[in-house]
Amino acid sequence: MKKLWITTAQIILLIVIAQIADVLVQWLHLPIPGSIVGIILLFLLLQLKVIRLEWVERGSKFLVAEMLLFFIPATVGIINYKSLIVNSGLSISITIIVSTLAVMLCAGLIGQWITGRKERAAS
Amino acid sequence: MGNALFWLGGTIAIYLAAKKIYRAHPKVYLTPLIVAPVVVIAVILISGVSFDTYDEGAGWLTKMVEPATIALAITLYKHIDILKKNAYAILASVSCGAIAAIVTSVGLARLLGLNEEIMDSLAPRSATTPIAMTISQFNGGVPTITAIATLVTGLLGLIMGPLIVKWFKIRSSIARGVLFGTSAHSAGISKALEYDTVTGSVAGIAMMFTAFVTLCAAPWLIIWLQ
Repeated sequence: MKKLWITTAQIILLIVIAQIADVLVQWLHLPIPGSIVGIILLFLLLQLKVIRLEWVERGSKFLVAEMLLFFIPATVGIINYKSLIVNSGLSISITIIVSTLAVMLCAGLIGQWITGRKERAAS
Repeated sequence: MGNALFWLGGTIAIYLAAKKIYRAHPKVYLTPLIVAPVVVIAVILISGVSFDTYDEGAGWLTKMVEPATIALAITLYKHIDILKKNAYAILASVSCGAIAAIVTSVGLARLLGLNEEIMDSLAPRSATTPIAMTISQFNGGVPTITAIATLVTGLLGLIMGPLIVKWFKIRSSIARGVLFGTSAHSAGISKALEYDTVTGSVAGIAMMFTAFVTLCAAPWLIIWLQ
């Protein structure tokens, strides 16, 4: 029971940080989404030891583990786009498949090339 | 009010059930990422309510996306030493991958005759869902299409990633982590963790950095490619 309260309190803390980030974006007219500002904000607060890792770790673990749940309504929104799927579904699928392959090869091979070169230099 | 609570509770119940099924039968096509939305859509279609009615209640879940995204800062904080040690390899390969994602999606979308709105929706697909959706909206895309495209990308990452690692002999943990984190966001991280913890951590860093690069580069690249 105590664990549940701690997790809930930590989630509320994360919600507060998210709200602060949104307010900052509005006030300063930043051309960046609130979630990115929030990540930078929390990272800085942790680095500067304003917030200790134990204060947010449990709550964040819960949120990240259940992230999928929070996307369900957005995904379900597809029912408003039936004609799009019928008309362009195939082209969209091809784009996603080929593009994802390209990203994997690009990131993986460049990463392998750089780290491989480093290892060879070391030995 | 009762209706809103019904859809909120119903979505959570379906999600929990889908998770339970996946735990018993861990097959790719049974991932809650597919099963939960499909079941929810079926229930909506059968009951004949509109998406707006559904979203009145279930939309509360969407509000939790931002705090959950911010929680990712903790991954970055915990693994900052791995990033410092391999900064060049990680940043260089992630940047190339993230830019490849935008260029190839816009290029292919044009080639296949998809309209601008869809192009803008597909471009930020490799970033993690909440950020991809925000970037999409910023650039004039449709966040829902982006959410679906991002989801499909994550699933593809789970399926194709291990094959690419095997076929192209990607042996370093850093390169593997970058491959999964850059192409397939949080779905990629879960797969990367199956290799070892370094691969998982690098995937986490790569996902974060992909989001930053996509955010900064997507608006310019889209304009330039058009």
